[in-house]
Amino acid sequence: MALPSNHFRSSVGSKVVMALSGLGLVIYVILHMLGNLQVFQGSHAFNGYAVFLRDMPILLWTARIGLLSLAAFHIVLAIQLTLRNRHARPVAYAVREYRQASFSSRTMAASGFVLLFFIIFHLFHLTADMIDPSSVDRLDVEGHRDVYGKLVHAFQNPFIMALYLAGQLGLGLHLNHAVTSSLQTLGFEYVAFNRLFKAAGPTVALVVVLGNVAIILAVFLGIVHG
Amino acid sequence: MKFTLNIWRQKGPDERGRLVTYEARDVSSGMSFLEMLDSVNQGLIAKGEEPVAFEQDCREGICGSCSLVINGIPHGPDRGITTCQLYMRRFPDGAVITIEPWRARAFPIIKDLVVDRRALDRIMQAGGYISVHTGGAVDGNVLLISKDQAETAMDAAACIGCGACVAACKNASPALFVGAKVSHLALLPQGKPERTSRVKAMLEAVDREGFGSCGNQNECEAVCPKRISVRFIATLNREYLWSGVVESGLPAEPESPHAESA
Ligand code: HEM
Ligand code: SF4
Ligand code: FES
Repeated sequence: MALPSNHFRSSVGSKVVMALSGLGLVIYVILHMLGNLQVFQGSHAFNGYAVFLRDMPILLWTARIGLLSLAAFHIVLAIQLTLRNRHARPVAYAVREYRQASFSSRTMAASGFVLLFFIIFHLFHLTADMIDPSSVDRLDVEGHRDVYGKLVHAFQNPFIMALYLAGQLGLGLHLNHAVTSSLQTLGFEYVAFNRLFKAAGPTVALVVVLGNVAIILAVFLGIVHG
Repeated sequence: MKFTLNIWRQKGPDERGRLVTYEARDVSSGMSFLEMLDSVNQGLIAKGEEPVAFEQDCREGICGSCSLVINGIPHGPDRGITTCQLYMRRFPDGAVITIEPWRARAFPIIKDLVVDRRALDRIMQAGGYISVHTGGAVDGNVLLISKDQAETAMDAAACIGCGACVAACKNASPALFVGAKVSHLALLPQGKPERTSRVKAMLEAVDREGFGSCGNQNECEAVCPKRISVRFIATLNREYLWSGVVESGLPAEPESPHAESA
């Protein structure tokens, strides 16, 4: 009965797995944002970065499979826990007032699903190239795949830009609660650090969203161009 | 003072309930919330109607019997008090007040505003105790406990088991209650020997009773009449994680679930 696998099947155990898988994804989201900021260094640097990533197929595929399994754990447990939580209060209150629970903490399932649909769209759009028929895979002057050109082409389209901004809204809402929450789930608590833990979520959310939005808007407003 | 009350009326556990509107007249501002309900009930009895059932006992904020979600907040608009410590002067004259029971699958309604909170007792029976015989009370300072430790244990031990944390939680999770109980025992030498089995048994009971899981939204802390801190939820999670590390690999030990919660 003391097997760890059993340990993780309880609702607190599920939350721990969610927190760990979620934090893994958070680290990825931060690196992804930092990597993409290289658009500001121009097409040479950015396409070079893309080549650098694609030149390491083993690493690339390990990362992809790792991310996919993290996401799978996270999403399956999220659905399981959300259903359990809905079930736990069959009759809703007629009047309800929240004092302390933040909006983002109460909408984790919703922001999570916005994220899920956004991630699927994003993969079809820029990884699999299946959304925008007007986007063509060209080579740049150095003979590298012109990922920079593809990105600039994508965000010049107002619809695509709006969808990406909506995705960032979902991401910001989710991360705002998620990072702080995962610390509590993992048992971090120490009087001197509690304010730091509370600030962790909003800070990470702000940094990641600002970075990503800067890229999207810079292209749309013509600051970064082909 | 005069108030319009929307009160949840439900004849029995399997009946359909609904909000019924009553007028409370001639309420003095010095009346407590429960005294106001007493006077409404006197009126109902005089008219030959069934009085509103609600729970109370000590009426001084120590027993944890009173409940009531008042205008959407368990224990009403003031922080750090129970419903029985709430006074009518807190409401503007003529206010509309909606009164509902704690709502959770694990707290089935018995009648009107009275819910069955024995799920919390069963969580306690699963592990919220120490089973060593301690004999008579020992002299002070025989067991040396640091001031910090003693104070923190006392903060956790202030929980009166009212269940407002469950009522306030969007997921109907009792994490604050369980966190308080587990922390207060884990912090003291008497509670340490059973530390790992206790936290596991109590959390298994939580899942068995059909409560939701903690989303760390911290609404519980904001309504708790004893202002129990959510740091004890982190402590609970830490104790649980630790129990997994310490006990994994040990031989299985048969443990029968408590009969009442089967
Ligand atoms: C893709 C679809 C996603 C869904 C459906 C989803 C759903 C959820 C839900 C419902 C929770 C709250 C669990 C609870 O309070 O009981 C949660 C927590 C969390 N999510 Fe997600 N999420 C998704 C994606 C992500 C992504 C992409 C990240 C990282 C960038 C992430 C990071 C986290 C973290 C760190 C937590 C905190 C876990 C905790 O409370 O301990 N999630 N997620
Ligand atoms: S933690 Fe607070 S709200 Fe929850 S049962 Fe104890 S006293 Fe009541
Ligand atoms: S009646 Fe005892 S705490 Fe309110």
